[in-house]
Amino acid sequence: MNRHWLRILALSAMGFMSLSGCSEGGTESSPPAQEGFAGLGAQAEGFAHADASTPLIFPDDHGPHPDYRIEWWYLTANLEDETGEPLGLQWTLFRQALMPPQERPAPTPWASDQVWMAHMGISQQDTHLAAERFARSHSAQPEGQAGVIAVPFQAWIDDWTLQSPSDDNFERFTLTAYSGEGDERFGYELTLQAEGPLVWHGENGFNAKTVEGQGSHYYSQPFLTIAGSVTLHGEPREVQGKGWLDREWSSQLLTPEQTGWDWFSLHLHDGRKLMAYRLRGGGENGGDYLFAHLFDAEGNTQQIGTDILTLTPLSSARVAERDIPTRWQLTLPNAEIDVTIEARHPNRWMPTSVPYWEGDVIVRNTPTQEETGVGYLEMTGYE
Amino acid sequence: MIGRVLITLLSHYKRHPAQLLMLLVGLWVASALWSSVQAINATAKESYARANALFSAETDQLDRRDGNPLTIDDYLTLRRAGLPVSPLLEASFTHNGTRFTVLGIDPFTLPSSGAGGETLNDFITPPWQTQLAPDTLPAFGLSREEATGATPTVGGQTLPPLTLRNDLPPDTLIMDIAAASNLFGEQATLSLVTAPAALDQPPDGYRITRAANLASPEQLTDSFHLNLTALALLSLVVGLFIVQAALGLAMEQRLATLRTLRALGVPATTLTLAILMELLVFGVLGASLGLISGLWLAGKLLPDVASTISSLYRTDVQQSLSLPWHYWLGSVAITLGGLLLAGSGTLWRAARLNVLALGQSFAWRSGYQRQLTRMLKAGGLAALLTLGLALWLSRLPAGSGLVVSFSLVAALLLTCALCLPPLLYGVLHTLQKVFRRFALMQWAVADMQLQLPRLSLAMVALLIALATNLGVSSMVGGFRLTFLEWLDQRLSAPLYINAVPSTLAPLNEWLLTQESVLETLPTARGSTDLLATPSSTNTELTSQGTVTLFGVSASPLLTANWPLLDTHGDAASAWQALGGDSVFINEQMAIARALIPGDIVTLDTRQGADNFKVAAIYPDYGNPQQQILLTVEALTQRFDGELASIGVALNENADERQFRQTLMNEFNLSSEALVNQQEVKQIATQIFERTFSITRALNGLTLGVAALALLATLLAQAHQRQRQLAALWALGVPRATLVKLPLIQLGGLALLTALIALPLGIAITWLLVAVINVAAFGWRLPLQLFPLDIVTMLLTAIGVALLAAALPCVQLWRTSPRALLNEGDT
Repeated sequence: MNRHWLRILALSAMGFMSLSGCSEGGTESSPPAQEGFAGLGAQAEGFAHADASTPLIFPDDHGPHPDYRIEWWYLTANLEDETGEPLGLQWTLFRQALMPPQERPAPTPWASDQVWMAHMGISQQDTHLAAERFARSHSAQPEGQAGVIAVPFQAWIDDWTLQSPSDDNFERFTLTAYSGEGDERFGYELTLQAEGPLVWHGENGFNAKTVEGQGSHYYSQPFLTIAGSVTLHGEPREVQGKGWLDREWSSQLLTPEQTGWDWFSLHLHDGRKLMAYRLRGGGENGGDYLFAHLFDAEGNTQQIGTDILTLTPLSSARVAERDIPTRWQLTLPNAEIDVTIEARHPNRWMPTSVPYWEGDVIVRNTPTQEETGVGYLEMTGYE
Repeated sequence: MIGRVLITLLSHYKRHPAQLLMLLVGLWVASALWSSVQAINATAKESYARANALFSAETDQLDRRDGNPLTIDDYLTLRRAGLPVSPLLEASFTHNGTRFTVLGIDPFTLPSSGAGGETLNDFITPPWQTQLAPDTLPAFGLSREEATGATPTVGGQTLPPLTLRNDLPPDTLIMDIAAASNLFGEQATLSLVTAPAALDQPPDGYRITRAANLASPEQLTDSFHLNLTALALLSLVVGLFIVQAALGLAMEQRLATLRTLRALGVPATTLTLAILMELLVFGVLGASLGLISGLWLAGKLLPDVASTISSLYRTDVQQSLSLPWHYWLGSVAITLGGLLLAGSGTLWRAARLNVLALGQSFAWRSGYQRQLTRMLKAGGLAALLTLGLALWLSRLPAGSGLVVSFSLVAALLLTCALCLPPLLYGVLHTLQKVFRRFALMQWAVADMQLQLPRLSLAMVALLIALATNLGVSSMVGGFRLTFLEWLDQRLSAPLYINAVPSTLAPLNEWLLTQESVLETLPTARGSTDLLATPSSTNTELTSQGTVTLFGVSASPLLTANWPLLDTHGDAASAWQALGGDSVFINEQMAIARALIPGDIVTLDTRQGADNFKVAAIYPDYGNPQQQILLTVEALTQRFDGELASIGVALNENADERQFRQTLMNEFNLSSEALVNQQEVKQIATQIFERTFSITRALNGLTLGVAALALLATLLAQAHQRQRQLAALWALGVPRATLVKLPLIQLGGLALLTALIALPLGIAITWLLVAVINVAAFGWRLPLQLFPLDIVTMLLTAIGVALLAAALPCVQLWRTSPRALLNEGDT
């Protein structure tokens, strides 16, 4: 979903690490007016445009699409350690094209037309650790400091890698990412196994994000089971649980008026999966734009559409000097779903170059308050 | 009322403009020298801050162990292995006589991204950007207004559009690494940097040079600026002597006016306030004059300071002044503060003025004698302070205590300054007895005693200036001789070849096969960790840290001349031992770590920790780092080191030009890669001369100030003097004798002062070469005195005094006898 683009774009639109010096610290920057969150609503002349007439083709589409401005490989996971304590993590690789294809510089040493950014986050109870990395590359030189190769699938930046063995492409993965030294060290080494098919969100995998037709190519692998080791404060621990991998690319996701979004990926205990989001602005008559996709354990769509759900913030928490809605009510009346979604802890702020909130949530049946699932929530554009 | 009082007081200067001039000159020179040095210091500090802010200043650096240059593949391999290295592409070019450094950076991986600018996008995408400081623009012939977006052409290549950034060091251009690579290609050198201490161990096949190895420019240059400040403070003090003399004289002459004013009903507070206001008016005027000329002076001196600092510490200082607000405030405050201090005596007397006391011209006698006694007591206290400081200094480890040493010099000067007037008085007193039978001489001595209260201040100023002058010029002269001799000894080969380390090894092999080559003297460089030293006696010494290694070949050609300061056994056996488990250390290291020949140091070798015996200590002037000397073989085999250069000695009948040509063709070397001994010496001497030109300039100026002080004092009381000479005239003393008399009086007094300044100057020289130099630079110099300098100093003193006496004499010569007698009546 529209999540993360944010930051990427930010690269160009506002010079996020801009500059003056902090690349790891996380600069707070506000998007230029009228370009949507993080510049994702900026006009994208000269780039390829996402539309429903371009079908998804595998395995090629697992790889990068440098003619489109933005793209990401986005993994979230709801895990438990040996003691049964819940633990959430994310790993994301973002790609952004610095210029339209026809303006690319010659592929001389160090010349670049793509910028890569990766985020890693681990959360447990009140602990939330995040790290960020950047790299440049040229699309004509795929073996760079960061990149993605479709077959056998490999996505990397420095020594952070998400890759598949050659005989099991995009079915089995290993993920490795660590940051820091000694007591400060955190990261993970995980194996991921797909237990179901890829799911496409929308016609031919094209997911509209506004009533005007802006949108992205978007598919997911929501049926991952995960096992491995997570290190927190230098201490490794065994974990296992569920994961959700998103793939999305586009050149202009948002309209300039859309300022942010709230995005949910939920693993319901009955085996169904639900992806839902609210884009603030960009709907009919300037209202919000909502979308949901509910599918069963075989990947068959049960409900999909823009007007089938309601999303209501119930309460907020003060996080990073902002009011962030950390408790939500989601209803999908035709599927008899009425759930309350709550962050396990408000402290899930990503103090990255483009900051946002991302963390693990519990899903409860609203009338009974019985736990019916877990998932991930991402919220952007709260100032 | 206070206005009228003030006008009345100031009217005095209308009648005595010379006093006003002297007062302002005193303030002016004091403030000018002080503010110029402060301007230089402030500008240099800003340059250091800018250099520090630049990433390359504080990063660890990786190099390949095999000596091959780093490539983009090294970068990708290391990043993919998870090492947080960032690429830095460095190139340089000369344009319009200015040498520029180009740094190509990758803002995505730089530890503390120095990449700035409006947007990152413009920086990293074509046509890219060239970031530079505004003070770099003149070299491109651009003004600030037209700079942004301009694309100057350099050697046929067009630079990316310019963007100004105030925080960059001068003559440094920053651009994206892709842009730098496109512009300079093969000429650019790639280095890989990491944040300090980001890596515990270098990765296999690489070695690491720690940022800590390079002290920050600010630390290194601290001592240099302390030297400058000390000289400036001296000028300030000497200038204030003039001010005090002028104020005292004006006060003396206005006593009657002041009493009249008090008798007319002006309260003492109003009178004091009026004098205070008068001081402030003069202070602001003098400080402004001083600031203006101080800035002018600083502008003149700065290029020399910049080259001094760059040659001593390899740090760039911008060549145009850049001054923070507190500089202006500080300069004016110092001048005003000094003025108030100098004028405090005047204020005190005005406040306690006895209305009924009559003007007594000779009341000074008892008063002055009391003053002399007080001076002697204060001088005794200062002497005790001097002793105390000397004791303290002797207990400090060698190489530290820079501030204590300067305080010691100041205390010594103060002692002598306080004791000089009583001493002069004593000498005159004795002379008076000696000349009992020669009436005219006795009168002359008595007259000197009368003048002494006023003159003694000028003499003190002269004493301080002379002693310092002698000290500083002996130090510089001694350093110059030592340095040149050392250079001669160190440069044993006639020809030196500089090339990348990977070329040097085959080059050396090739040289050995050449008939025309008599011998090659390769050198190597490296660094290692010093794990332990035996001197645990002083806990303040850090026994660990990184030291640089220098490898030489112990050939007789080199060892016969290589200077050594101290050896364990004789020099020959020390050189013999160098091949094995012995090393030589430089003087800087010996002092900083309190090592002597025979001590054992533990070094981190490739084979693990190992002990080495210090066989000798060698002088290493101009090197800011501690260094260990080994043979080239030992360095390259046991430590991380690589060849640095090769010295070549040719056979007597070999054709050097022919040899150069063959060598250049064979290894594709540029002509700059070959340097002959004469060139090296010339460059080194040039650097040296520029290094001390600033010291010389300030030194000369200080002496000038002292001469002014003396001149001003004599001019101010010339009028009064004529009155006293008129009496002699009337008694029948010929005019020719009357003219010669003051010349003898003053010349004699100045000579006496200069003779006292002589031992003081030698003491200061010793403190400079043996204590302050060691603390500031890490090397000690032999104490050398230059008779010519001493004679010059004596002649200067007498010359200044005679010049000062001559002007009133000329006046006297021209005055008609009648007028002279009339003076006596008034």
